[in-house]
Amino acid sequence: MIEVTHLTKRFRDRVAVDDLSFTVEKGEVIGFLGPNGAGKSTTMRVLTGFIPASAGTVRVAGFDVFEEPLEVKRRVGYLPEHPPVYPDMTPRAYLAFCAGLKRLARSRVKGEIERVAHLAGIENVIDRVTGTLSKGYLQRVGLAQALLGDPEVLVLDEPTVGLDPLQIREVRELVKSLAGKHTIILSTHILPEVAMTCQKVLVIHAGKLVDFDTLDGLIAKHLPGRKVTLEDIAFLEEIYSKLVSPVGPGLAAALPVAASGGN
Amino acid sequence: MRSVLAIIRKELYIYFTTPIAYVAFMVMAFFAAQFFTGSVDVYRTFVTRMSPYEGEQILEHLNLTDVVVSRLLGSVGVFIVISAPFLSMRLVAEEKRARTFELVMTSPVRPFEIVVGKYLAALAVLLVSIAIVAAFPVLLSFYARGAHGGPAVEWQTVGTGLLGLFLLGAMCMAVGLFVSALSDSVIVAALISLIVLLGLWVVTIFTIGSQGPLRDLATGLSSAEHLGGFLQGRIELKDVVYYLSFVALGLWLTDRALEGQRWA
Repeated sequence: MIEVTHLTKRFRDRVAVDDLSFTVEKGEVIGFLGPNGAGKSTTMRVLTGFIPASAGTVRVAGFDVFEEPLEVKRRVGYLPEHPPVYPDMTPRAYLAFCAGLKRLARSRVKGEIERVAHLAGIENVIDRVTGTLSKGYLQRVGLAQALLGDPEVLVLDEPTVGLDPLQIREVRELVKSLAGKHTIILSTHILPEVAMTCQKVLVIHAGKLVDFDTLDGLIAKHLPGRKVTLEDIAFLEEIYSKLVSPVGPGLAAALPVAASGGN
Repeated sequence: MRSVLAIIRKELYIYFTTPIAYVAFMVMAFFAAQFFTGSVDVYRTFVTRMSPYEGEQILEHLNLTDVVVSRLLGSVGVFIVISAPFLSMRLVAEEKRARTFELVMTSPVRPFEIVVGKYLAALAVLLVSIAIVAAFPVLLSFYARGAHGGPAVEWQTVGTGLLGLFLLGAMCMAVGLFVSALSDSVIVAALISLIVLLGLWVVTIFTIGSQGPLRDLATGLSSAEHLGGFLQGRIELKDVVYYLSFVALGLWLTDRALEGQRWA
């Protein structure tokens, strides 16, 4: 569904994403894991066609993001890092605007707004002015926007930031319920989130892919012989710190797994 | 088309739920009213002071359309030039500042559709501004009579004058939209487009007293000079081309500026 090959993004002399390659199959939920500034958001922005790649290609559903951006954008629902909402509009007017941008059939719009408002849990604030809503609600309005039109691919940049623990659980349940039908990439630095919602984990550090595998694969690779269950999430912290905490890039590159994550 | 309409609706929603458009209308109504009452006053004083003998011929050639309405429209032009940057400043710049630009640019919408949607919404607001000005000749036609009892207001001349104002405003909005697309600060966008548009409005004052090609160039560049024909009831191709070429250039450059984001 999503093929990223040798993706590199440079901002002047700073390399944000360095030769990143991975493939996501249809219906998979991928957790994007990495410290701040690792290049998670940059990768997502390239993936959604907001900024161009310096080198390499990204294909979504067989369409090249750069060559056929409209085809890709039609299939992708995107929640950016900062919820892209207009403070002067109500969520209802905002979602109607987004539905127009996404060219949903007019007859569908009303039902779609009800549906995504219900999914994101913003029904009770849908007619308030967005500027007066709390951070958690802004985040959920942004999420509702991404779900609008039921896109095949969802790219969610830190979807649970600013939510309270209960809402976080709701969003996780939501993501889980969307799995299978949708292909989802979500970035986070909350480790339990990955363990609970994602089938595969992609760890990226300093713009480079460090590892890309299923949770079981990661456990077998990095904690050999250890028995862990998904409820016991401390193992993930251990793996994560093994992968990214040696701050020197030399150490990270020296990890034997760095090369094996290519596909 | 669907997405263009969505963008128009959203822009109008924001224009009319925030004070900016209303402030622009108020400025326009206030100054148009000042100029209107002022011109009517001048006209009345002039007519009453004319002696019945020598004034007869002069009065024959005077009419309310030329003396009051055209003067009003000419004076209002500068307020269109001043208010347009404030109406166009947030069109793109605010999207960048509020990060909603990311939403618009990752939606299945061509940059040109974004440009057209935003521009048409700005033109709709401009039309309201001009409709406020148009209320004054209408008011005049209720109370005034022409020389031989005919209508006091020549609607053709008023119509071309309003068309001229609209074209001037369309040019200002296109320039403002482009400047807005270059900046992510609304204040910077407003100030830069104000400088450019006021500069084009008053460019002839830089060549006062000079003759020849320099003066011709300034006259050709001046947005005020090109309004003159419209105010006198003439639609001249060169004037129409002047305004429309700014519109076309502004929209094209805005489209390039947005498309350029994809290549940055």
